[in-house]
Amino acid sequence: MDIISQLQEQVNTIASLAFNTFGTLQRDAPPVRLSPNYPEPPANPSEDSVNVAEQPKAMSAALVQAAKQFDALVAALPISEGGEESQMKKLAELEAENELVEQELQQQLEAAEQELKLVQELFNQAADNCLNLKKPE
Amino acid sequence: MATSAYPPPPPFYRLYKDYTQNPKSAPEPPPPVQGTYTLYGANYTTDDVLPSLEEQGVRQLYPKGPNVDYKKELRSLNRELQLHILELADVLVERPSQYARRVEDISLIFRNLHHLLNSLRPHQARATLIHILELQIQRRKQAVEDIKRVLH
Repeated sequence: MDIISQLQEQVNTIASLAFNTFGTLQRDAPPVRLSPNYPEPPANPSEDSVNVAEQPKAMSAALVQAAKQFDALVAALPISEGGEESQMKKLAELEAENELVEQELQQQLEAAEQELKLVQELFNQAADNCLNLKKPE
Repeated sequence: MATSAYPPPPPFYRLYKDYTQNPKSAPEPPPPVQGTYTLYGANYTTDDVLPSLEEQGVRQLYPKGPNVDYKKELRSLNRELQLHILELADVLVERPSQYARRVEDISLIFRNLHHLLNSLRPHQARATLIHILELQIQRRKQAVEDIKRVLH
């Protein structure tokens, strides 16, 4: 995939990691104590507490990793400064050179065609001579 | 005719009865469309250019100008994005009812990122064209060399 599409995919990946992170944390967070008037919420020490402690670490690590990957891709962009004008200039130069090379190729092709005709003519004559020599007497 | 389940083909074929004898007796094909046209109820334009962010009603975060430094702006937008995500996490802990503003900021950064990447596409197209022309020139030179070698 080309570099710009990879960059676009990476942006979308970062977005999906972000909303997955927030969604998971919101879904799995244990109840929290809001005011001193209310009693402490019952904390169920099941497998939830293990997961809700590790999940933010893993997910934020993935997010940071994706951001670093994006920076690496940006560094790999083959953009040279100078922008549109330098590209158009290069295109004009290449077009002119292409024209020259095309004309030279055309000349060479014509010369080669001439040679080919000559050789074919010679072959024809040689074949005719062979046939004439082999005439049964 | 346009709304039946199996509409018949358009009746223009009758005009081309004598096309093989006299190609000029039948009408010419219609000229290419110019400007804007309507297709299946939607409006399209023949001028394919990326609409700027202001036209879409989105604030532009990176500096406008003739030559944008794409790498620098992409990197700084990435950092802004990370900071905003962190800010959203903080807001959700402290003042959960104020998430909407932060989410809007994050989506604004994403739109800017995608617009910046899309504006790189014309540059990529020109670079591809340059590469193709270089390859073609190289192939033609090689052909000239081959012919010279065989002939002389």
